Amino acid sequence: MTQSPTTANRLERLYALALCLYPTPFRQGYELAMRQAFRDALQDRALSRRTLVPLVLRDLVTSLAKEHLAMLRDTFARPALVFNAVVLTALATGLALALYAIPQQVLRQGANDPQIQLADDLAARLEQGIAPAEAVPAGSVDIARSLSSFVIAYDDQGRPLASQAQLNGTAPAPPKGVFDYVRQHGEERLSWQPAIGNGRSVRIAAVVQRVGGLHPGFVLAGRNMREVEAREEQVEQMAGLTWIGMLAVILVGTAAFGWYTRPKTA
Amino acid sequence: MATGTAPAAPLSPAVFAILLSLAEGDKHGYHIMKDARAPQGGGIQMGPGTLYGSLERLMRDGLVEETGLSDDERRRYYRLTKLGQSVLAVELERLDAAVSFAHALGLLPHGGRS
Repeated sequence: MTQSPTTANRLERLYALALCLYPTPFRQGYELAMRQAFRDALQDRALSRRTLVPLVLRDLVTSLAKEHLAMLRDTFARPALVFNAVVLTALATGLALALYAIPQQVLRQGANDPQIQLADDLAARLEQGIAPAEAVPAGSVDIARSLSSFVIAYDDQGRPLASQAQLNGTAPAPPKGVFDYVRQHGEERLSWQPAIGNGRSVRIAAVVQRVGGLHPGFVLAGRNMREVEAREEQVEQMAGLTWIGMLAVILVGTAAFGWYTRPKTA
Repeated sequence: MATGTAPAAPLSPAVFAILLSLAEGDKHGYHIMKDARAPQGGGIQMGPGTLYGSLERLMRDGLVEETGLSDDERRRYYRLTKLGQSVLAVELERLDAAVSFAHALGLLPHGGRS
């Protein structure tokens, strides 16, 4: 089938417009050559328009996708750009972890502060020979609900002698291993997690200290960590948001830098 | 300037058709497209986008280069480099081995290659 010059010109103009869809460097490099190839194809009597038009349409779809992907790869997958982004991401992640870990540790260590002195005072009074029932202040603290600090005196076997705290109606005791450790090292500071029933537990910032003297044993001073944990959670959320923000800045910055420094020629 | 690495066999049908066409001599874009369309050239219906995209990558990989000679600014001529010839030879050997095997199995109509 032959084509009139008008139809061929119109097709060529349409093809020239379609070439605007290619990435600029590729278009600048090959626009004239591609138009010439298309013009040659239009003039080729062995190639009918019925064959040529679908062929060129398919070619436009596939090659446009391929060239845009290649441009994205050339723009954003350059080793120096990726390396910089990875280093910045690692720094941001380290910074966010530090933003979480440092305040978290400060909060957790601070949660022991009154208990350290309370345990020390109680141990001193018991070593002076004061009876546990007298040495332990009166009162009943429900450790599952109350944020008040409390003390408990134990004998050398780890059995409660006198307790300011109650959990499910009894004086709670930490695992035996804690007493074994304190027997050897004199003191232990730990997050104790006694069960409060229904599969739930409560976290206690506890300081356990060895009692010497004629009636050796142990004292435990503790405090419910509910408020401390809530603050730790806030710190975690702030650190997480900071991390996401830094990643977004790195992503946008890398994309912008990659775009402005992209290869300008095909 | 070639900055990439030569593609390993098997080559894509378009790349194979371009290299095979240029093995005959320096050619411009539409001439390569015509060769590729012919059954002996690979029978590939290739448009200008695929052709010049492939040529761009082949030049980057050092398999093809522009001759710099042209009868028209819009008509650019290309030729195979030595590396391009080697890559084409490897691909042809690979295809030849496959065709020989198919021939031995009696899979080719009319007795296979003449």
